[in-house]
Amino acid sequence: MEIALIAFAAALAIGVPALATAWAQGRIGPAAAASLAEKPELSTTAIILIAIPETMVILGFVVAVLILLRTGA
Amino acid sequence: MIVRMARVRIAGPRPRLDAVLAELQDAGVLHFDRPRLPEVVPADGAVARQRRHLERCLRDVATSLERLQVPAAPGVVSDPPAALPRAVRRARRVRRHAERLHLSQAALEDERMLLLRYREFFQAFESLVGQELTWPDGQAFYVVLRAGAENALGALTQSLQATVSGEVEVLHRELSTGEWAVLILASSGAAVKVAELLSASRIDELPAPPGLGTSNLLRALPGLKARLAAIPAEIATIDAERAALRRDVSGWLCGLQAFLRDRLLLLDARARVHAAQHLFLLEGWLPAADVAPLERRLQAAFGPEVVVAAIGKEQGAAADAPVALHNPAIFRPFEMLTRTLPLPRYGTIDPTPFVAIFFPAFFGVMLGDVGYGLMLAIVAGLLRLKSRPGTMLRSGSMVAMACASSAVVFGILFGELFGSLGHLVGLRPIFNREEAPMSFLGLAIAIGGVHILLGLVLASVSAWRRGRRREAMGRGVTLAMLVFTATALLAALRVLPPGLFTPFAVAVLVAFPVLVALEGVVAVIELLSAFGHVLSYARIMALGTASLMLAVVANQLVGAMGSVLVGVVFALLFHLVNFAIGLFSPTIHALRLHYVEFFGQFFSPGGAEYRPLGHWHASS
Repeated sequence: MEIALIAFAAALAIGVPALATAWAQGRIGPAAAASLAEKPELSTTAIILIAIPETMVILGFVVAVLILLRTGA
Repeated sequence: MIVRMARVRIAGPRPRLDAVLAELQDAGVLHFDRPRLPEVVPADGAVARQRRHLERCLRDVATSLERLQVPAAPGVVSDPPAALPRAVRRARRVRRHAERLHLSQAALEDERMLLLRYREFFQAFESLVGQELTWPDGQAFYVVLRAGAENALGALTQSLQATVSGEVEVLHRELSTGEWAVLILASSGAAVKVAELLSASRIDELPAPPGLGTSNLLRALPGLKARLAAIPAEIATIDAERAALRRDVSGWLCGLQAFLRDRLLLLDARARVHAAQHLFLLEGWLPAADVAPLERRLQAAFGPEVVVAAIGKEQGAAADAPVALHNPAIFRPFEMLTRTLPLPRYGTIDPTPFVAIFFPAFFGVMLGDVGYGLMLAIVAGLLRLKSRPGTMLRSGSMVAMACASSAVVFGILFGELFGSLGHLVGLRPIFNREEAPMSFLGLAIAIGGVHILLGLVLASVSAWRRGRRREAMGRGVTLAMLVFTATALLAALRVLPPGLFTPFAVAVLVAFPVLVALEGVVAVIELLSAFGHVLSYARIMALGTASLMLAVVANQLVGAMGSVLVGVVFALLFHLVNFAIGLFSPTIHALRLHYVEFFGQFFSPGGAEYRPLGHWHASS
C-alpha cells in the first residue's frame, strides 16, 4: 500500500507538470506558428518560448526521481 | 570576439569624390556613416534620377536572368559596359525576348494540361470517331457525372426521352476515376430543349477546349490528339531558343548585373557623403588595424589632396560603431548559433567562444553515449561531404561533429554504448549515471552554478569596460552572494565542513544591503532569478537520465518479444527513435540554457552589423 502511494506521488509529481506544460505549449505553439508565418526570423525566439514551459515537466521528473529514491521505492 | 573599430574622416576636393569612392569600394573596408554636421545636405536630383535609371535596368537584367534560368554565379565580377545607354537598351530587348519565350511556353503548358484533362473523356468515346452521325447537323453535349451517380444517369436518360423522344441519343462510359462520361447526341431541333433540361437539372456541360474551332468535341478528337502530339515539339523549340539566348547573353547579363549593383552601392555611399561646392567630407568605421593601410592606399592614389584622419572617441561615440565578429577558425562555426540572436552591442562581449565550449559539453553530458555519438559523427561527416565551405550547412556539420565528439567522450566516461550494452564491449563507467542519479543531479546543478557564475563575471567585465562601474560592482556582489550562499548551503548539508556555515551566512547578510545599495530592490529579484537559473540546469540530469532509460528499454525489447529476431528489429527501431529524440531535445535545451540562463546575465543585443562598401557578389 505504501509503495503504491509513493508511486502515485511520483506519478503526480511528473503528471501534473506535464499537463501544465502541455497546456502552455498548446497555447504558445499556435501563436509561435502564426508569428513565424509573418516573420520567419523569429524562429529562435519561438523555439525558446516553446521550450520554456518544458522546465515544469523536467523539474517534475527530477522531483519524481527524488521521491522514488528518497523513499527507497 | 568583437573586432575593435576606429572612426575615420576623409576629406578632399569635390572633383575627386567619385574616384575616392571607387577606391574605397576596391578597398572594401569602410562602413559609411553620415558625418555629424549641423548642415542638412540637400537631396541631389541628378543622383536620384540616376538611381531610378539603374534600378530599372537592374530589374530588366534580373527578370532576364530569371526567365532564362541562369544560375547565380558567385565568382562574377563587375563588367562595365562601353556605353551604358546602349547596354540599358540591350538589357530591355533581352528581357522582352526572354519574357516572350516564357509566356509562350507557359501558354503551351497550360494548353497541354487542359487537353490532358479532356483526353480520358475523349478516349472513352474514341470508337465512335469515323462513324456516321445520326444527326450530322445536330449538337453533342458532354457531361461528367460524379462517381456513384448511376441513378442520376438513369433519371437524366428518362427525362431526355420524355422531353425529346426519338431525337436524342445518350451514350455513357465509366472512367478510371469512377466518374461517368456521358455523351448526348441531339438533333438540331432538340438541342435547345436538351440544353434547357441540363440547365434545369443543374448538370454542367464539359466545355470544348479553346482553339479547336468546333463545338463538337467528337469531330475535334483527331485534331486534339494531333495538337497534343505537337505541343512537346513546340516546347522543345522554345527551350532551344532560350538555351541559345542564354548562351549568348548570360555572361554579359551577369557582368552587367554586378556592374549595376556596384553602382547602386556607390550611390548608397554617395548619399552619406557631405559634398559641398569645392570639398567633400565623409566618415565611416573600419577595423582599427585597417586604418593605416587605408591611409597609405589613399595617399598613394591621390597624394596630399585627400586627407584621412582618425576621429577621437570624443567625436565618434563608440556605442554607434558597427559590429564585426572575428573568432578563431575552431570557434567560427558556432557563430551560427549566436547569430540567430541580434548582434551584441559594440563594446560588450561576443559569446561565441563560450558557446563553442559549453554547447557541445552540455550536449555530450545529456546524450552521453558512444553509440549515439558515433551515429551523429556519421551524420556530421555526410553533411560535411555534401556542403561547401563557408555555408550554413558546413558550419552545422562542424557543430554536429563537436557535439558527436563530446557525446562519445562522455559516453566513455559514463560507460554507455547504446545504453547498457557498454559492459558487453568492456566499457567500465567512471561515473555511472544510471546508478547514481542524485550525484548526476548534483553534477548538473554544479555545472549550472559554474555557467551562471561565468555569466556574472562576463557581465561585470562588460559593464566595467563600458564605464558602468556601479553596475559592474553590483554584478560582482551578486556573484559573491551566489558563492557565499552555495557554500553556506553545502556546509549546512555537511558536504563541506560545517564550520564554514556561520562565516558564509554572515557574509551573505553583509553583502545583501551592499547589493541593494548598488542596484536597488530590483537586484534582489535578479538574485533570486539567478538561483532559479542555476536550478534550471537540472534539465541536464533529467534529459540525460531519460535518454539512458529509453536506451535501456530498447535493449530489454530483445528478450521481451518472444522471438529474438523480432525483438532485435524492435530494439533497433526504438534506438533509432531514441537517437532522433537524443538529437532534438539536448540541442533545444542546450540552446535554451545558453540563450535564457547564460546570455541573460551579460548579453547586450542591438549591435549594427559592419557592412563595408565593397563590390557586390552573387552570394551577398
